[in-house]
Amino acid sequence: MATSAPELLPYAKIREDLFRPLSNGSARYWITIAAAMSVIVLGLVAWGIQVRDGMGVTGLNRPVFWGFYIVDFVFWIGISHAGTLISAILRLTDAAWRKPVTRAAEAITVFCLMIGGMFPIIHLGRSWLFYWLIPYPNPRLLWPNFRSPLLWDLVAILTYVTGSVIYLYLPLIPDMAQLAQHNVPWRRKLYRILSLGWTGSDREWHALERAMKLMACIILAVAISVHTVVSWDFAMSIAPMWHSTIFGPYFVVGAIFSGIAALLLVMGTLRRALGLELYLTKHHFNNLSKLLLLMSLLWFYFTFAEYQTVWYGNEPSEMAVFASKIRGPYAPFFWTMVFCNFVVPFILLGIRKLRTITTAMVASVCVLIGMWLERYLIVAPTLGNPRMTSASGVYLPTWIEFAITAATFAGMLVLYLLFSKLFPIIAVWEFKAHPVEED
Amino acid sequence: MEHRWGMSIDLDRCTGCEACVVACHAENNLPVSSPEQAEKGRTAHWIRVDRYYEGEFPDVRVKYRPVLCQQCDNAPCEPVCPTYATYHNTEGLNVQVYNRCVGTFYCANNCPYTVRFFNWFAPEWPEPLQLQHNPDVSIRPAGVMEKCTFCVQRIQRGKRDAATENRPLADGEIQPACVQSCPADAMAFGDLNDPESKVSKLAGSGRSTLLMGELGTKPKVFYLERAK
Amino acid sequence: MADFREQPKLEAAILALKAAGIDAEDLDVFSEEPVEFRRGILDRPSRMSLVAVVGAIVTGGLATAGVYAAQHNYSLPTGGMPIFSFWGTGVITYETTMLGSVLSTFGWFLWESGLLRKRDKNVPIPTVLPGVMCLRVHCSDPLIPRVRQILDGAGATGVARKEVA
Repeated sequence: MATSAPELLPYAKIREDLFRPLSNGSARYWITIAAAMSVIVLGLVAWGIQVRDGMGVTGLNRPVFWGFYIVDFVFWIGISHAGTLISAILRLTDAAWRKPVTRAAEAITVFCLMIGGMFPIIHLGRSWLFYWLIPYPNPRLLWPNFRSPLLWDLVAILTYVTGSVIYLYLPLIPDMAQLAQHNVPWRRKLYRILSLGWTGSDREWHALERAMKLMACIILAVAISVHTVVSWDFAMSIAPMWHSTIFGPYFVVGAIFSGIAALLLVMGTLRRALGLELYLTKHHFNNLSKLLLLMSLLWFYFTFAEYQTVWYGNEPSEMAVFASKIRGPYAPFFWTMVFCNFVVPFILLGIRKLRTITTAMVASVCVLIGMWLERYLIVAPTLGNPRMTSASGVYLPTWIEFAITAATFAGMLVLYLLFSKLFPIIAVWEFKAHPVEED
Repeated sequence: MEHRWGMSIDLDRCTGCEACVVACHAENNLPVSSPEQAEKGRTAHWIRVDRYYEGEFPDVRVKYRPVLCQQCDNAPCEPVCPTYATYHNTEGLNVQVYNRCVGTFYCANNCPYTVRFFNWFAPEWPEPLQLQHNPDVSIRPAGVMEKCTFCVQRIQRGKRDAATENRPLADGEIQPACVQSCPADAMAFGDLNDPESKVSKLAGSGRSTLLMGELGTKPKVFYLERAK
Repeated sequence: MADFREQPKLEAAILALKAAGIDAEDLDVFSEEPVEFRRGILDRPSRMSLVAVVGAIVTGGLATAGVYAAQHNYSLPTGGMPIFSFWGTGVITYETTMLGSVLSTFGWFLWESGLLRKRDKNVPIPTVLPGVMCLRVHCSDPLIPRVRQILDGAGATGVARKEVA
């Protein structure tokens, strides 16, 4: 019984289990951080070289003016939708199984947004002037062009980051108050400050619950709009196979899809690393797997609809891009993507006997690879096959782009490791709130 | 009345000699690429000559089309620039402001003619080519986008000369480098707002076509060719 | 102050106290997790939704007006598009509206919960133990015996009295 209803465990044990990771790290922890930091340093060196020598050190060229950096940008912003789905939608539908998962998901959102938000700066030809996109009164007396989808990106992502940070912080406050009696002095101070003097009075609880409910609705509305706006960087252009009305919903579905995969991966790792087997049970992974399968089917539907329409329309400039993806130089990536995004989840998660925690993690990794490839296949083939065929080209990324991409993955790892050491990864107070709940 | 600059290129006269390409390089301080960079697709030719081969040997026919910035009235490159580094000026030119470009590359992606070029590195010229620079044209730093400007420096000089001498601009007085250098006299440049100018007459002729005009970009380069 | 371990007893105590004339404003329940009262027992009226909506509209409106002013202040034609259009600015309007609602909700939460208001230092705050709900009644001296009677009658454990200056 204990494994299927962790809320019925003695309260003291819950506290102990969930607060235990908040201590000095083990050797394994610090070695992981060190390894990740070295990857990050390599990425920083690569970026430094790029800023010093020019964008020519990358594999970008004419006509493929956008490459890995934009792929990474869309990829990371996409994954950030994990938190919103799990936290907001499941909170609004009052699904009890979401409880141990919400904070981890919200943390993914915040960190992915922070990382993804760096790419619009990294990909610039003159990165040091990125602040020209921000509207502020300046001595040159000029404003940025609000008609550009890039400005929409700026506003949307800023809104989403603000909302996500607040959404992560709000349910953290009661836990901070509980932790204010921690034994380590600097932690005590940190938690006391962050708890804002929370006393646990019903007024505070009431306000918190109202705020959470409102924030869930708002953050959901924001999340859907954010990835739509990101997709409009492509859809608002007239490049062949970019100028498609389906991009808005397509990207949102893809984002939620990759987000759930990332969440599954993170949860599986946390479960093993922090010994949370009692809290992150088969039940949770089962539900997340079913969600992942659902999103895989949805993704397949949108992809099929998009490609079918292009193929049937048989418009020459679009068919050039289409052919390069299905049969041409990008074909290996395309079919790998289909395999990773659809075939693997369908088999591993669709067949009940095969659906275990391990297979769910395998499927998640495949989906993440597949979704990265999907973004790559949106960017590179279209740009490589412009309307004027005399200008066709191929994109061959260099070590600079690989290094920076790898550094962002390492960065995510470091941020998450630090977070899990500073804050309880499962919201303790939410756990006991509704002890008699049907799952 | 404001000028509205336009160009016509007679495809039936074009021999594909590429004198226009060379002239443009010389006039506008275009950077020189190395063979490795050229292989990566990083050369910059503000005007290029596209070749189209038709038929099988020995009945091969070649068609030439010089492609340059079409200075579209409905330019897709303009609205997507977040810093107004490219916008439409009152004389119908799609201007590129190097100082304002942060290098988002969006304009280049949106140009259906792929006539925009990026400075991947700081430009270099092998000795002694750097002595040949045109002082009227700025050297672009690494990280900014550039493209054909209809030799705006020559337009400015022409307008200034006419103003100082207190006379109107004559048709054909201002010639971009490519127009000036064409040995087959295939190119013409002038004011589309002047119904008597050579360009206006050619643009209104039965042989006048637009490159990908169906996209609605309203280009101002008119290609003259025999209707098939 | 009184500790309760069972919610129905706490609810009965609150109702009895209200019947005895204690105002709901003077009652506070402290707990480690939120206690879900039934309607009518300890309602706290909240204006958070209204504040969120108003904040959203104000921010969205200001931002759109700002974009309008900026576009016209530095008006350069691009691609044949109008200098300002509601469609074109729609995204910015929408996002800033959402941002306004986020910031207003958070700000109002800080205010309504009392976290950012000046606390009365003399009012005692109980240390809450897990599983315990502590009810704090703020009343004048003459009422104390009656309050004590109600609390004991309702089955409270550990009733304590703290002086407030």
